[in-house]
Amino acid sequence: MLDHAAQEAITGLKEAGIDFVSGLPDGWQRNLHELVEADPFFEYVPVCNEGVGFSICAGAWLGGKHTVLVMENSGLRVAAEYIARISLGTGVPVVLMLSYRGDLGETEHWGIPHGIVVEPLLDALRIPYQIVRDPALLRRALRRANRLAQAQLHPTAVLVSGDCIWEE
Amino acid sequence: MALDRYEWLGRLAARVPDDALVMSTYIGAVSFEWADLTDEHPRTAHLGQMGDVIGMAVGLALALPHRLIVALDGDGSVLMELGQLVAMGQTRPENLVVWVVDNGCYESIGWNTDGPRPTATAASADLAAMAAASGVPHTATVETDTELDAQLDAAFGGEGGCRFVCVRTTPGHAKVAPRQTDGFEDKYRFVRHVERTEGRSILHLAEQDRQLMADPDSH
Repeated sequence: MLDHAAQEAITGLKEAGIDFVSGLPDGWQRNLHELVEADPFFEYVPVCNEGVGFSICAGAWLGGKHTVLVMENSGLRVAAEYIARISLGTGVPVVLMLSYRGDLGETEHWGIPHGIVVEPLLDALRIPYQIVRDPALLRRALRRANRLAQAQLHPTAVLVSGDCIWEE
Repeated sequence: MALDRYEWLGRLAARVPDDALVMSTYIGAVSFEWADLTDEHPRTAHLGQMGDVIGMAVGLALALPHRLIVALDGDGSVLMELGQLVAMGQTRPENLVVWVVDNGCYESIGWNTDGPRPTATAASADLAAMAAASGVPHTATVETDTELDAQLDAAFGGEGGCRFVCVRTTPGHAKVAPRQTDGFEDKYRFVRHVERTEGRSILHLAEQDRQLMADPDSH
């Protein structure tokens, strides 16, 4: 994502009270992962599988952390099994921050299926979400996403795309 | 050789310190037997399911590094998501001990006339070796009472360290009552216990309610 958008995301996570981050870096949010990893405010747990990342975030919440899982939207398909088991089955909140591959502007053919699946899958998992294409709205979206997640004890999602990714 | 599950879980339960937290699978006889042995103590989160017990325990251990976290998992569950071992080996929480009930079968789905359906550990899969290869610093496979005693001493006798102990266990379960609860009740019970023992709030307090009760002139 663009550097100023990544900085907005860092600020937004802090303002939201999220200090525990897990995830699997992808082409769009790689620099966000790097910023989180370098910032002592955050506990950062990189994983090789988004499902494991979700389980780790859920366990951290049980210990009192507010958490976010940062991943490409393809990772939602991997994490879906554990979101269903843990959150639909017990009610545990985790904020999901997803690259919206396959959104308008996509350049890669392999990103198209990710875009086709992500919103219906979020709906199937009963996860409210906001698509953020303007970096100026990112901080507010993350704050609101965590507020709702904690209130409903179930994940929420922020999908990033558009002017968060491209300068044109 | 293999150990009787109810018996060795009982020995484990007797050694878990009072201030430790336990992340347990909540499906099947392991959960029922553990609940019976621990008198449903709220320090246990019966929240883990197939493929997520160790992951949740890693998260809990990282969130509360001053508390000992004990995880109870089964071989079928570990096999379902081996990436958990990678995460455990990568993060290496010093306060996490994972105990795996390795009975070599999917016991909770029932038996046919030939016995239970085998898992991959009944053939060639070696979970402790996989944990070690993933970077978990202390791993062991236990098959005898003497080996169990040594691992209990290592885990709870002050040696500490990030540990993965696979206990070869005979199939079959004790005659204990099934638990009459669900994941939501178990979550609230466990989180309230963590809140009480940590002296902090975890569950959300509704903002409007907070403001209402904070204002003495409000009616």
